[in-house]
Amino acid sequence: MVERVLKRKAKGERPYFFEDNNIDKLVSMIMGLAGETSVLMERLDTVERLLEEKGVLTEEEIEMFNPSDTVLEARTKRREIFLGEILRIIEIELEADSLEDNSSYDNAVKEVEKN
Amino acid sequence: MSETMSKTEQTQHQFLTPTKHDEKARQDFVRSYKEYLVKNIHAGNRARFEKTLQPRFEKSEHRPPSDRFEVRDLMVKDSYYQMFSTLLRTSQEMMWSSCQLPVEGQLEELNDKVRSAGQSASISSLNLDKNFEIPRYHTAVDIHCQPGGYHSEFTEEDASPGMVYDRAVHIYAMGQMGPFNDDMGASVVLWLKENHPDFKPKRILDLGCAVGHSTVPYVKEFRDAEVYAVDVAAPMLRYAHARAQDLEAPIHFSQQNAENLDFQDGYFDLIVSHILLHETSNKAIRNIIRECHRLLADGGVMIHAETPPYEGMSPFDAFMLDWDTRNNNEPFWSKSHEIDLNELSTKAGFDISKKFNTMIPSAFQIEKVRRSEVFQGGDFGGGGQWFIYGNWK
Repeated sequence: MVERVLKRKAKGERPYFFEDNNIDKLVSMIMGLAGETSVLMERLDTVERLLEEKGVLTEEEIEMFNPSDTVLEARTKRREIFLGEILRIIEIELEADSLEDNSSYDNAVKEVEKN
Repeated sequence: MSETMSKTEQTQHQFLTPTKHDEKARQDFVRSYKEYLVKNIHAGNRARFEKTLQPRFEKSEHRPPSDRFEVRDLMVKDSYYQMFSTLLRTSQEMMWSSCQLPVEGQLEELNDKVRSAGQSASISSLNLDKNFEIPRYHTAVDIHCQPGGYHSEFTEEDASPGMVYDRAVHIYAMGQMGPFNDDMGASVVLWLKENHPDFKPKRILDLGCAVGHSTVPYVKEFRDAEVYAVDVAAPMLRYAHARAQDLEAPIHFSQQNAENLDFQDGYFDLIVSHILLHETSNKAIRNIIRECHRLLADGGVMIHAETPPYEGMSPFDAFMLDWDTRNNNEPFWSKSHEIDLNELSTKAGFDISKKFNTMIPSAFQIEKVRRSEVFQGGDFGGGGQWFIYGNWK
């Protein structure tokens, strides 16, 4: 797993826009998924263009590919990032709890307007 | 630095975080996502308001909504606005994450590089204050949702917030701040050249410089001037110092609070800030303007570049521009856009017959055709113009 050193949640109450905030979370997951799919599409596009240019690969060879342990491990790491992107919206709630970053946003507005 | 400059890509410099294939693709997705929201989704809010919500309100109240608060009461219940808002907030969170990932993957190396550049710097300087107290208005929430804000250090002598920020600004502005993210500084420089061609400042101070995006254009234009820049966040300044060195821009950086600076009275001819004032507080903004008055020489000028005030805007436009206050961690945005600038100047000691505020054109004209020509939540650089407030002394 890539070590996440930086904070993932910005301090401050996260706004939700729908009455049921699970809808907001689902939107975030879908867009995360869309983002990662786009990354994948571009990678594949790069590879296919290069292979075509060089004339080195056929579709059959892709079907026959047998990944080594190193490749499997790299793919596992890659999927963890993938899932981390999709599920960030859930994880930041835990980060907020553990850092006690739960004070109301109104307090921040009041504080800067007053001080 | 790269010799070829793309019109829409960020210009590479030695300290811009290198990205692998997928990391770059992830950032490019966020930029496309933001562009898509601005071009295709945002306009639906106005349509919902004008075609449905306002007529319904007028039918029962026999008048249009009178201010942005009444508009807000209608909009927050509207499912289209709810979806737009949740998409925009999500794009902001994905932007930061996509910029953090490549930094986290090589944090130690990148920090070493910044550190050694800092140590061997010859044309610029950096002064950090180990006992510096970050003002509360900067730590109350992480501004514009950058996790950890500008000030947090995740490792010793960390510059990672600067690394993340440099890349994120380009994505946030969808390239509309130019390949160096310097459009605000460049626009003020252009305005000065066109309107005050004889003004040749000897000493210039940039307040709240972050990584120095807007500081560099002053160095390039006023070649004989000494340029100083301050910020509250050490990680930003470390990065700014290294970046300025690579861009061959002599700048003296120091960690200071713009409310209370250690320069002597009358030291500067030109004091500038770029989107600083809305990140402060009601008391701090007054202290900053008072400090500008103290530090300016007679005949000098302060210029603060911002997004436009709400005065004179339709309640709907003001409501949309106010989106960031509650939804993008900008708690002082609302109040700062409604401040009485005459009073602000007067109380700081300025003569308001020498005060000015105006909209100025963006210096970054190349992308003009791509601009949406309106300031709105989520399209910060899209206005094609900036608001400036200033005062000659």
